Amino acid sequence: MAINPVPDHVPPEMVRDFSLFTSPGMPPTPNGDPHAAVACAHDGPPIFYSPYNTQDGRGTWVITRAADQRKVLQDTETFSSHRSIFSSILGETWPTIPLELDPPAHGAFRSLLSPLLSPKRVTALEPAVRERAIALIDRITASATSCDVMKDFAFPFTVSIFLRFLGLPDQGLDTFVGWAKDLLHGDDVERPVAARKIVAFIDELATNRRKDPVDDLMTFIVQAQIEGRRLTDGEIRGIGVLVFVAGLDTVAAAIGFDLAYLARNLKDQELLRSEPDRILLATEELLRAYPPIQLIRVATKDIDFEGAPIRKGDYVSCATMIANRDPEEFESPNTVDLAREHNRHAAFGYGPHRCLGSHLARREIVIGLEEWLARIPTFRIKEGTAPITCGGHVFGIENLILDWS
Amino acid sequence: MRIIVHNAKCQGHARCWAQAPDIFKLDDDGYILPGDIQVAEGEQLLASQGARSCPERALEVDRTSAARFGPAAMQPRTGEA
Repeated sequence: MAINPVPDHVPPEMVRDFSLFTSPGMPPTPNGDPHAAVACAHDGPPIFYSPYNTQDGRGTWVITRAADQRKVLQDTETFSSHRSIFSSILGETWPTIPLELDPPAHGAFRSLLSPLLSPKRVTALEPAVRERAIALIDRITASATSCDVMKDFAFPFTVSIFLRFLGLPDQGLDTFVGWAKDLLHGDDVERPVAARKIVAFIDELATNRRKDPVDDLMTFIVQAQIEGRRLTDGEIRGIGVLVFVAGLDTVAAAIGFDLAYLARNLKDQELLRSEPDRILLATEELLRAYPPIQLIRVATKDIDFEGAPIRKGDYVSCATMIANRDPEEFESPNTVDLAREHNRHAAFGYGPHRCLGSHLARREIVIGLEEWLARIPTFRIKEGTAPITCGGHVFGIENLILDWS
Repeated sequence: MRIIVHNAKCQGHARCWAQAPDIFKLDDDGYILPGDIQVAEGEQLLASQGARSCPERALEVDRTSAARFGPAAMQPRTGEA
């Protein structure tokens, strides 16, 4: 892959050899800890330029402090979210919605979708989420004292909940997870193929729901009105693709990293097992320690930001995993403290684009951990196995063989 | 004590509500209802925890005497200068 050159306006002394894709610990690594690996960003200046920090080989400014990330992500006039991250894979420029729309266009779509994923709405979904978790874990314990948590629990659990939300049958689960894997972790050949399949699939689903409406998200979208009009085919596609991609990988990765932590830290595992009330607060700390996402914005004008000469068109990276290890924001940031209070972590971003699915994601993680700990005795990473972790566009854990024999 | 609500900064994280649902009220979309919040004596710890969990810094704890006694206490009483 071609790596884009460092622009002339970037002072050479501000360039740092750092990348969420290629730095040590970022390519697939057995027993890796990619979050700890990028925390080293705090050993250097608060802002620097990384020559290769996106999936397509572009450089970004890297904002390491949580306070500065907050400033960037709250200032949508200076830092646009319109990046066409998905459509650019196809050589196109349409936005995913509402993520890649800026205010004020963003507001109407956000208001349309917010009630569907509000805390109240998510509370109503809770029994179905819990039932799904229990069914999956019971199936595992019926025949084994060991399993691959990613394959047997984390992915089927999170993906099936979100497929139901989107209005898709569980039978498609393996296919969809395969597309997401190719899209987020695949090479230059696999990614466009996966992207095309996803677009075709969303377009077809929209057509079907127009003909035969049911009670699901896609039906809601094709019937919805914004400012007195129906949504265009492009807008429907933009929403469908975002919901599809956002729900496929992130929560499963979070659950994987969380259970890997508990498998390696038996005192904390025992604490949550004996006092399940602590899981709610502990989940916030695990979200702080193991968030999966890097957020990128595009400068809309020239600005000197905390000493960095950011020019119009520059990419600005707000990696949640870096903000969450900022020593100015969190005491002992590299220590996981399950009782940490006032945990204002950045796992779901800051500003108007705060993750729309955050409330559902939180409930899935809390319920997943509650039911796992209630049903599986003390578990460890199976001897002779090593979970493979990776950095990149979405931090992930590919396999996690737990053993409780 | 009073919680000053910077509504424009609220992005619907709902962390305040998760800590103290009786103190911090949300609208149907999950964003905080407008208006500052007067906190009763026994709820100060919970309110402050809720305010301090806001990732956007949209909630500010005001412990000045005016906040402690509320706006009514600042009105001169009948007969006072």
